[in-house]
Parts: sequence; structure tokens; C-alpha cells
Amino acid sequence: MSLNFYRRVAFGLSPNEKPDKDPLNWAINQLDTIPDLLWSGKIPTEKDLRKKYGEWVYGDREVLRKKFKNDKHAYRKAKDELRIKTGERYFELNEHAIRHFQTKYSKQPVFERFWLFWGNHFAISEKDFLAEFSTGPYQREIIRPKMVKTFEEMVKSVTTSWCMIHHLDNSESFGPNSKKGMEWGETINENHARELLELHTVSPNAGYTQEDVIQLAYIMTGWAHKWDRKNLETGDIWFDQEMHQKGDKVVLGVKYKNDAKRELAKVIHDLATHPICIKFVSTKLCRHFITDEPTEEMIKPVIEAWNKSNGKLIEIHKAVIKQAYKYNESTHKFHPPEIWLMQLSRMFDLDIPLSFEKMNYTFKSKPNRKQRQLSWILREIGHSPYRAKQPNGWSDFEVDWVSPELLLRRLWFASVELPILIKSGNRSHDFILTCLKNNFEDHENMASLIHQFRFGTSDKDLGRKYGVICNLPGILKV
Amino acid sequence: MNCTRRNFLIGGSTTLFLSGYFPKISFASMQKKNLIIISLRGGMDGLTAVPVIGDKRLKKLRKKLILEDVLNLNSDFGLHPKLEIFHKLWQKNQAAFVHATNIPYTGRSHFDGQNLMETGAHIPYKEKTGWLGRGLLASNIIGKGLAISLPMPLLLRGVPQNNNFFPSPDFVETKLIDQIYNEFKGEHNELIKSTLDTIRQRPLSMQIATDSDDRKKLALEAAKQLQDQSGPRVAVFDLDGFDTHAAQGGVDGAHADELEEVNKIVTILHENLGQAFDNTLILTLTEFGRTIKQNGGYGTEHGYGSAILMAGGLLKKSQVYTDWPGLKKKELFEGRDLNSTIDSRAVYNSAMSVCFNQDPEFLRKEVFWGDALPDLSQELFKI
Repeated sequence: MSLNFYRRVAFGLSPNEKPDKDPLNWAINQLDTIPDLLWSGKIPTEKDLRKKYGEWVYGDREVLRKKFKNDKHAYRKAKDELRIKTGERYFELNEHAIRHFQTKYSKQPVFERFWLFWGNHFAISEKDFLAEFSTGPYQREIIRPKMVKTFEEMVKSVTTSWCMIHHLDNSESFGPNSKKGMEWGETINENHARELLELHTVSPNAGYTQEDVIQLAYIMTGWAHKWDRKNLETGDIWFDQEMHQKGDKVVLGVKYKNDAKRELAKVIHDLATHPICIKFVSTKLCRHFITDEPTEEMIKPVIEAWNKSNGKLIEIHKAVIKQAYKYNESTHKFHPPEIWLMQLSRMFDLDIPLSFEKMNYTFKSKPNRKQRQLSWILREIGHSPYRAKQPNGWSDFEVDWVSPELLLRRLWFASVELPILIKSGNRSHDFILTCLKNNFEDHENMASLIHQFRFGTSDKDLGRKYGVICNLPGILKV
Repeated sequence: MNCTRRNFLIGGSTTLFLSGYFPKISFASMQKKNLIIISLRGGMDGLTAVPVIGDKRLKKLRKKLILEDVLNLNSDFGLHPKLEIFHKLWQKNQAAFVHATNIPYTGRSHFDGQNLMETGAHIPYKEKTGWLGRGLLASNIIGKGLAISLPMPLLLRGVPQNNNFFPSPDFVETKLIDQIYNEFKGEHNELIKSTLDTIRQRPLSMQIATDSDDRKKLALEAAKQLQDQSGPRVAVFDLDGFDTHAAQGGVDGAHADELEEVNKIVTILHENLGQAFDNTLILTLTEFGRTIKQNGGYGTEHGYGSAILMAGGLLKKSQVYTDWPGLKKKELFEGRDLNSTIDSRAVYNSAMSVCFNQDPEFLRKEVFWGDALPDLSQELFKI
């Protein structure tokens, strides 16, 4: 088995890790439990951060805008102070650090790869202040604990999470015949219902109609944040009977009797266990770990594991890894920039993310350059994880990640920024050779390409070496 | 390159003859013509950009989204006040609009819709190339596409050696590529290898470092490139944020902010293309319009018919070109959306035929599988 398997399903091997005698078992054994988060700095809860979100929005909208309505400059200044006080500039950086610390040091890196996958499958795209305050904790608290449960439980948990409901506007969806709908002349907002069908479960392959979307939106009416004057839209999610559309509903030919809040669990059960949903999500999993266009033959065992285990994610994940192992030598997969960066950080023990002591924040001034560094790099290489442009998340196709500028950004990072991130004890040529040997069969050929720079240890020399190494086909792809 | 006599003869003398299409061979047609597409992702609301002031129903259905200070176009249509440059160009016959138009897609999903607006196809995700890429390829115009974005938009895919411009904050030594280039072997590395080729052939002016957050700088650079006779002939801008389910607003709402971005880009292109603006067409592209009626969040839902905003010296005249379907309930698509009476692909096909000096009939077959798209060149563009 080639060493690239450690990058196909994880992040490669760090300088103090050695290849396992049985790589398949090594990978499969990582999926039964949820590894602890290793970050020993601050890990705020979703609820705490939502409170901060509320303070920021309330402070700005309800206080500052009114207070400084005639003084643009004073308003701007006060707003910047509020940003600092509420951590609006800080929490996303901290979340990136928690995430990258995990992928760099986790003893279950394969589990972490699936964590990234599900966070992107149930993507929160860039909207309002979700990236600043909510997407990170959503991935930690809503997605992660469900990775040892069933797919259905994950869908349920995501669909009723504050983050997803805010992301897809379900709090603004009123049953037209509900008490509030009638009183206020309000109607449904289809956004969340449509994405639940299209992106999260059955996909358009299920052939649903506009009427199915409307009917599902009816079922979902009432699942909304609790509004009050001080918390505005950041209150907890509850089921508001007075927003809920009365009467029976029919989605994809199945009738759901008028049953208030219980309707949602029933329809999610049917969607999450629908054969087309199973095939759609299995295909996406295979695409992520095997190749852009997985064949029926590759996907089939994953679907079988899904059916046999009634959607238990542990079993599904194991089946995916078995397939990734089986096709490791005969397929190629291009990795998007964030995974590439995580792999470089693990394989070459780069100095990112920052230590938790250095990430500590006092809420008194804006985060320093070092604290912003990782998030800035992610953005510049084109892959800021919480800021996908659309609710379908980041693409898993090579063509979406190969353009002159996107490739140039990787050359830029590896040759200009990466040298600054090499730890002082790791600047020797021998260190690179050891890392290459640990991760690549053709390390000798790779080494020959940088042989001419072997005596150099300045940033510039290291830039030439890593600029070449990190952009070789064998590192961009497995 | 494209308009050499040899290309003209091989390119389609027979089809040209059969369709009765005889392009004028004059100095003007030998000039490089630019086609610029601005993608408006999320569903641009044609009725916010170009409101039908002649129809009282619009006001009634959108009480909270009323526009004040609409710029006047004619007795039926107004223009959003943030689209100033279009109003200015309208006076000079250099701005026009196609209204009640869309790609033939009624599914209301962004992802399917955006896929189809770029591929020009009927089934989402079936085609892997964009209509603009295929149009360039069919016209034998290679290596002349420029995308102003970090990824390569699907719209331009299908023709090799496209470029994009979205520079990193620091200078990159592109000679590093020479050291890795020969390592890219085998079919599975083809895409990366050809992209590296494109980087190596970039003009020096593109090898700079800049702040790519600054749309103005990017538009300015695009204008510079397009102005160059040997530079790109096609540019693609990408804007998103048109999906205003909530707080869409009127003059200052979320949709207005996005229209302002379009206005900014067109203003910079107009100012900096100079003479080349006379040989340029700028067209917008979106996946669908939005519902007539406002929703619970004072936004609008995904709809169907929208509008195409157009600018440039290759326009025939200022006009709102439309076969207006009306806003009565029974005139709406599924009782809720502005209908589409013009397949927007007909506009794009005609625009390509003008800018690439190609027979529209030929392009229709090569690019759009022979779909029944009428040639609108005579009506919309200078030919």
C-alpha cells in the first residue's frame, strides 16, 4: 500500500509518526469514538457565542445606530469598539485554530477528515455574522457528536439548529393559515425546505416538485428562534405553534397528518432513509475520498453498509474507507486548498495554528497579526472554511479548484509564507528529506528537484525548496 | 487572429451562405470586439433593477419594497437609482435592457439554475462546459478568455488556456513552475499542466501583486487587458449576494447594494476602455428572477423571469426590448413569477455572433445543440 493512503484519508504522517503495518485497520479503528478536542485554550459554547452575536447585533442595531444617527464618524468608531468588545473580530480566528489544531495533532485524523466532510455537506455559507460567531461552534456541537449516530439523527439535529435555521431563514417562514400568519398576513419562506431536500437529503434526483417544496415548508413552519427585544434573532430555537401551518401535508407522495411539531421528525425520517438520499450522500462521500466521478461499483458497498446498518454513520464511514483503500492505487483525488494546508502543517510540522497561549484574547484591542495569520492564509489560498458562497458548500471537484490564480496562490503560500512558519529546529535540508521519506515512495525523485538548494537555509532558500515540493503533482493529489 | 481570411472561409462559408448571413467586412469588423459577462448569482430581481412603472400591480404586491427616485427610461419602465451609469449610457444609445427573459429553467434552485445559466443546457450538471467557452472554441478563439475571480467559472470552461486575474498579496516567482512542470505526467494531470502553461504565457502586466479585495483595481486591470488589441476578447465578472430572501429593501436595501456593485464595475470599464468601449458588449447573467410578491421577511422568493442589463458601443440603440407578459395573476408563471417570454440564451448567442464575427446559426448549433433560439442581432446589436 502506498504511503499516499495516509493523505487520502487523513493528513499524512507527522515527523514523529511512522507508517502502520496495517493501514486499513489503522484507519478503520479511528471511527468508533469521537476524539476529544485537543485545543487547551478557550473553547466557547455555541450558546455563549450566540449570546455574543446577540450583543453585537443589538449593540449595533438598537443602540449605536440610534445614538449616532447624525454622526457617521463617531458611529464608526463606536462600532469598531463594539467589535472588539464582543469578539466579532476574534472568534472565527479562534475556531480556525481549534480546527487546525485538531487536524494537525489528532490521534484519529481519519475521523477529522469526516468531520470536515459533514461540516461541508451541511454547509453554512457566508451570511450575516454566522462565520464570525456561529459556524465553528455549530460544526463542533451540532455535527461532531452525531458522527457516531445515524445520518437521520444528524439531519434532525442540523435542521433544528439555530445556525441552520438562521442561515436558511426558517424563522421568517409563517404558515399562511397559522394564527400569526393570518394576523400578520405573512407567508412561507421556502429556502430551508428547498435546501433540506436538495442539498441535505434526497437531491433533485428525487424529482420533487414546487408543491413538494411548499408542503415541506409548511411542515417546517414554527421552527424558529424565540424573539425578544434584547436578543433579537439570536434566541433559542423552539416550535412556535402559532406560526405552524394547520392541516395535513403531502411530501413526495407521503401524507403527514396534522401533528404540530412531530411532523418534522417524521418527514426527516422518510427523507433521510430514502434510497435516493442514500445514493446521493454515498456518492458524495466516495467523491470526497476516492475520485471526482466515482463509479457505481465504488459506491455500491457504501450503500450496502448504509442499508445494513440503518444509516449508522460509523458503519458508513468504515465502508467508505474500505473503498478508498481498495481503489487507492488506481484512482486520483485532488485536494482542495484547506486540506492541502492541513497536510503540509502535519507533514512538515509547521508553526500553525498558533499556540493557545498566543491565541488568548483580552477583548481590548483588535487581534494581532499572528492571531489573524491562519485565517488570512486560508482566505488567500481561496478556502476560508466558514465562508462558502452558497449553501451547497465548497466544491469537491478538481476543475473548481484549478485556475491560474488558484495555483499561483499555492505557489505563493509555499514559497513566500511557508518559510516563516518553519520551526527553528527544522530548517535543515535533512529535515525536509526525512519528512519526504516518511510520506512519499518517490521521495528520492522529489529530493533531486531541490538538490541544487541543499545548502541554503535562509527564508528565500527555503521558499525555493518548499515552493517546488509543495506543488508537485504527488502532493497536490493522491 | 480570428478574422483572417482563412478562418472566414473554413469557419463557415457554407453555413453563412445558407443562412443568408453576410458580415460586413470593413475596418470596424476587423477591430477586436470584447464581450464582457457579469454573473449575478443568487437570482437578480429584474423588477427591482428595471421596474415596470407602467403597471400599478407591482406597487400593490410589494408594499415594503417600493422604489422611490426611480430613474426614467420610458413611459413603461424605470431604472433603479443605483444603476446611474446605465442611465447615463442610455442617453447615448449605449445601454439597453432585455426584460421578462430567462434561461429555460423553472426549477427555482440556485445550484441547478446557476449550473444551467453557465452551461446553457436543460439538465443540471449534465454538461461540463460553459456556453461562452464553447462559443469561443467554435469560433476558434483560443486563450482569449479572462475571468476576474479566483476559481475558473464554469461559463468559460470548454476552451483551453483561459486566464484569470485575482493576484496574491505578494509577488510569486513564476520561474518555480519551470522546475515542477515536467513532473506533471499522465492524463490525470492534464488540467493542472495546461493551467501551468497558461500561467507561463501570461503578459507581464498580469504578474503583479495587489489587493484583490478591491473590485475597482480588478476592473481597472480587466479594462487594460481588454483594451489591448492582442489581449483577451472575453471577460467574466462574478458577483453574488442577489439572493435577498429578507430585507431586500428598495433604494438602499440588500438588492440595491448588489446593483451598486454592478454599476461600479460598468463605470470603471466605461471610463477605462476608452475607444475600445465602442467595440464592447457588456451583458449580465443570472439564474432566475424573483417572485412578484414580497415574502414574510420583506424579501422575495426564487422566481423565473428576470432582466439582462446591457451596455457598450455595440448596442444598436437604447431600448427595453421585451415581449411583456403582464403582471395579472393569470399572466404570471405559476401564478407567482414574472414570466419569461424571451429565452435569454438567444440574447447571448446573438451577442457572441456579433463579438466573435460568427454566423448565429452556426453558433446555435455548435453551442446550444441547435435549440430554437431566434437571432436577435438585428434588433439588439450593431452588425
